[in-house]
Amino acid sequence: MADILLYRPHFVAFIILFLLGMYIMVVCLNLVKKLIGMYIMQTSIILFFITLAVKEEGTIPILMPSALALPPEAYANPLPHVLMLTAIVVGVSTLGVSLAMVIALYRKYDTLEEDQILEKIQ
Amino acid sequence: MTSSLPGFLFAIPFFAAIAIPVAGFTNQKLCRPVALGALVLLSIVSVIGLSKAVSHGPLSHEFGGWAPPIGIEWVIDGLSGILMVAISIVSLIALVQAGPLVKKELSGRLIPFYSLSLLLIAALGGMVLAGDLFNLFVFLEIGSLASYVLVGVTGGRSLLSAFRYLILGTIGASLYLLGVGYFYAATGTLNMVDMAQQLPGLLDSRAILTGLLFIVLGLSIKMGLFPLHGWLPDAYTYAPNSTTPLLASVVTKVPLYAFVRIAFWVFGMDAVSVQIPVLMVLGWIGAVAAIVGAYLAIWQENFKRMLAYSSVSSMGLFVLGFSLGTETGFAGGLFYVLADTLMKAALFGVAGAAVYQCDANTVADFVRLRRNMPWVSIALLVSALSMVGIPPTAGFFGKWYLVVGALEAEKYFAVATILITSMLTALYFFRMFQHMWAEEPLPLTEPRVLETPFPIRMSLGILTFGIMALGLGSDFVVGLIFESVIPEGF
Repeated sequence: MADILLYRPHFVAFIILFLLGMYIMVVCLNLVKKLIGMYIMQTSIILFFITLAVKEEGTIPILMPSALALPPEAYANPLPHVLMLTAIVVGVSTLGVSLAMVIALYRKYDTLEEDQILEKIQ
Repeated sequence: MTSSLPGFLFAIPFFAAIAIPVAGFTNQKLCRPVALGALVLLSIVSVIGLSKAVSHGPLSHEFGGWAPPIGIEWVIDGLSGILMVAISIVSLIALVQAGPLVKKELSGRLIPFYSLSLLLIAALGGMVLAGDLFNLFVFLEIGSLASYVLVGVTGGRSLLSAFRYLILGTIGASLYLLGVGYFYAATGTLNMVDMAQQLPGLLDSRAILTGLLFIVLGLSIKMGLFPLHGWLPDAYTYAPNSTTPLLASVVTKVPLYAFVRIAFWVFGMDAVSVQIPVLMVLGWIGAVAAIVGAYLAIWQENFKRMLAYSSVSSMGLFVLGFSLGTETGFAGGLFYVLADTLMKAALFGVAGAAVYQCDANTVADFVRLRRNMPWVSIALLVSALSMVGIPPTAGFFGKWYLVVGALEAEKYFAVATILITSMLTALYFFRMFQHMWAEEPLPLTEPRVLETPFPIRMSLGILTFGIMALGLGSDFVVGLIFESVIPEGF
């Protein structure tokens, strides 16, 4: 447990962010707060992937015509960045759909609290 | 063998989903023919794909000319071919049936309904075909987004259950993505075949163990495996009747497919049963899910809610079957998945027809079906008998192979579970039949309504026939599974 703090302190930050997001999603009754929690949770995963790409002394993974002779190990890994671009798009579309649902619920029940909506349904 | 068929299987429903708003912009009547035409084409192409994959070995398509593992690969092999055929045919029948219901329930909002349904089918196809863990995540989310909207499209109560489904579904997808991240960090690849070659040396790594845990948890939420089924009963109960046959029959089966693919093809039988005993744990969870789901179904008054708990119970049986660790158990699990796809489409179709024609929501209301809807009652009877497991229906043979597989594996708790589940299933369906046939019929003063519209009757008839045919042809289907699906290592 101690070595994770020593060598990978950023992982601890991601775990805290992930758990915080999940806690907000489960505990808060306000629908918009739930979505904020969802976004925090997704962001923690995106940050986790991005840190997998980092290398010490690694340079930008673009093949420049001027500098041809670099070995592959000298570049940072570009794949996690590309994957996370896709994951960000997925996250944004989920957020878009969920905000549309929240708006429709607000127009119908005039509140954003889940317990009050349930009361009005019954 | 390289082939562009996997690409076509995704492109047909996807481009139809885009074409529907364009065609429907000028004339709404065009939506339905475009959607049904695309699905007929998809069914034909997927049958061709399956037969080619069975006779010539797996077909794979490399995107952009980059060979895997660097490029993205889509594969049709025995398993994905069979599921693709099941998805395309059952969704075609479900959309044929939805025609009259959409007009009544969604007040003619044809464009969003057909477009989203096809987008959902395209995404399910993409999940089944993907040979790459991250690709699978993307299609998982596209399909889930389409199904959240299809659940909540009528507003009000259904919207709140769709929102809850969205919250839980996103947690599931995030856990899956996190697991994929762990796998990528440990192996440096996302391609399933490449990962399968690297994993045997890494099985004692903590990253792989944690990643597998996250993936199984995430997919269990998506497939509605007890105790993570929280979203499922509300979503199925309040979703419009035009969409439930499609949602209930295929949407939860595809995350199950993803789990089976990862467990038996990426990890391999030896790894998941001996080195990391996932199958043993899932076998017990599946057994509990099967019994508790069936038990909860007995107490439901609403017919669709009863079927939702019945889905929870069936999911437990599938997981139990796949976790037995014998060839017969695997084949039985897959056969039961196919049978359940037909049965759930038929049962939710009956639920839709009952509300459409007789306004019958609860089990007690079903007394009205007896006099008013004889054809629908027959479909209900056959699919209910198949759920219970009475020969010669498909459900019986599914359970038969499961029991034989459990006996081969000498797992007697599994045999007991399957028998108890069948008895509980019989209890909740016979309770309904008691309302339908044993009670006094309604007084003749109540107005008599006509039989349901032709599309509903036709699709229920085809599904009923399909349940019987799959049962009678079970030798052929199970033979096909044995010949071309069973993974290595059994």
